[in-house]
Amino acid sequence: MSFLLRRAGFYVVAFVVAAIFNFLLPRLMPGNPIDIMFAQAGTVLPPESLEALKATFGFVDGPWPVQFGHYLASVFTFDLGLSVRFHPLTVNAVLMQALPWTLLLVLTSSLIAFLMGSALGIRAAWRRGGAFDSFGAPAALMIQAVPPLVTSLVALFVLSIRLKWLPTGYAWAPELDPGFTLAFIGSVLAHAALPILTLVVAQIGGYLITMRNSMINLLGEDYITLATAKGLSDGRVRYAYAARNALLPTVTSFAMTLGATFGGALITEIVFNYPGLGYTLYQGITARDYPLIQGQLMLMTLAMLTANFAADLLCLALDPRLRRA
Amino acid sequence: MRAFFTSLLANRKASIGAGIVAFFLALALFGPLVAPAGPNQRVGRPHEAPSAAHIMGTTRMGRDVLAQTIHGTRTSLLVGLSAGLMITAIGTAVGVTAGYLGGRVDEALNLITNVVLVIPNLPLMLVLAAFIGAASPATIALIIAGTAWGWGARVTRAQTQSLRNRDYIHAAELLGEPTWRILACELLPNLVSIIGFNFIGSVLYAVVTEATLEFLGLGDALKVSWGTLLYNAQTTSALQVGAWWEVACPCLALVLFGSGLSLINFAMDEVANPRLRTLRLKLRAVA
Repeated sequence: MSFLLRRAGFYVVAFVVAAIFNFLLPRLMPGNPIDIMFAQAGTVLPPESLEALKATFGFVDGPWPVQFGHYLASVFTFDLGLSVRFHPLTVNAVLMQALPWTLLLVLTSSLIAFLMGSALGIRAAWRRGGAFDSFGAPAALMIQAVPPLVTSLVALFVLSIRLKWLPTGYAWAPELDPGFTLAFIGSVLAHAALPILTLVVAQIGGYLITMRNSMINLLGEDYITLATAKGLSDGRVRYAYAARNALLPTVTSFAMTLGATFGGALITEIVFNYPGLGYTLYQGITARDYPLIQGQLMLMTLAMLTANFAADLLCLALDPRLRRA
Repeated sequence: MRAFFTSLLANRKASIGAGIVAFFLALALFGPLVAPAGPNQRVGRPHEAPSAAHIMGTTRMGRDVLAQTIHGTRTSLLVGLSAGLMITAIGTAVGVTAGYLGGRVDEALNLITNVVLVIPNLPLMLVLAAFIGAASPATIALIIAGTAWGWGARVTRAQTQSLRNRDYIHAAELLGEPTWRILACELLPNLVSIIGFNFIGSVLYAVVTEATLEFLGLGDALKVSWGTLLYNAQTTSALQVGAWWEVACPCLALVLFGSGLSLINFAMDEVANPRLRTLRLKLRAVA
């Protein structure tokens, strides 16, 4: 229990640090922070909304601690202000529209990459030094070095612009009405296929290498030799003994890599004009929509903290030593 | 230590990787001498396909893509190397200090490290870059270094903690060596492989991240680098009009340079951790 409490305390600290960051940044830039942050907003929003927006970001009369208290209060009540680019929507509304699409990409691609990467890693480790391993492991490493930016540009050009197999952008064909119809769901899947493919390519090498290396380390352990000596079948030793334990490092690193996956999803969405968080953010950046840019940092941080918390719970379930501490 | 480098040199993956990296370093140093044209020189019509005159074609602005990529190598590598150096320096300093001193200092540094690790990098960098405006390559290097040192610090701290109770450290403490000397002269040499690993990974990360930030339009579009080339290609819809060559050359450079660094890292891992060495390598080491 104390383990979870300590972790929860840490997550609150991390969240507040992200908020401090958002709060300080406009105030540290040369010039008047209000002018910097709301130069675009002033041309779009009516005066009373602009006043409310300033208050949300802590621009009230008083010293910095008072201002920061104001900002923290709005962050913890999830009041992230108004979007400038998507006026009159609030930042919350804009982010919530985009979030499901990003989650679709991130979760599906992570699952596929995890299953495929781990399976291939097990195979490579089991026959280490064999044909598959000698080719597969360096190949996985090369693929891992390819940035998502390059993968998505190549996939976009080859598969959708040249071969015209898959659509070049958006989440569904515009002539369809959203709903639970076969045509609509098919269209959503066809549009998501390329971004997901790109993200799978970006992640699969990492899972393969992690699994391979931690499994090779385990295969030298005495209990593996014992299991083989007992006459257990190859499959039993491979999956129930070696892979079962080799999976632990993958689980703990999963939460860490999620941040990179979200980052990769941002890039992929921009290349494919896919209406998730990344594409929305891109539009926000080009319009210098600071409330939106800051809001997505809070949301992404929250997503990372949630994922880490889930990983903590999973570790607690897998590793009895943590429960006793 | 000497054995470590000897077996690294004998490793085929390491030598291929080192060759690729050396090629790009040479390109960064002497590229402007061998480039077929100046970085912003108009040499042909817009979007000319690759030909004998322009091996990788021309951009929307009629500039030679290959020449621009060669000129951009210097900026991209400079950002990558300097950011990688800063990431490694911060990560090593924090990790060694926290791991050796322990107690309050360790708790404080570890908390900061974990916060840096858990706040997602790219969204954070986007906020920073958006406020700074058209960020120069030097600013981008600073932003990358400030947000990405957490991983190195965590790994270095763990390794330092495992070295901390070795006899030779206790001996140095009993001899009355000052703390800085224990850190710099006793601990650091034994962390070389981890520091090297951290450095190579960080350079790779920094080169890719710089290209990404510039692709998103957060860099200085007038500076020629691999990222701004991709940004210009995106804003002129090069792919949509079929001018794939404008994207291909910088992409190829990114992929090739990245593979070179990964090969070195992979080989270092194999040398440092003998169990990972594959059968063939063992045979060759024996022979």
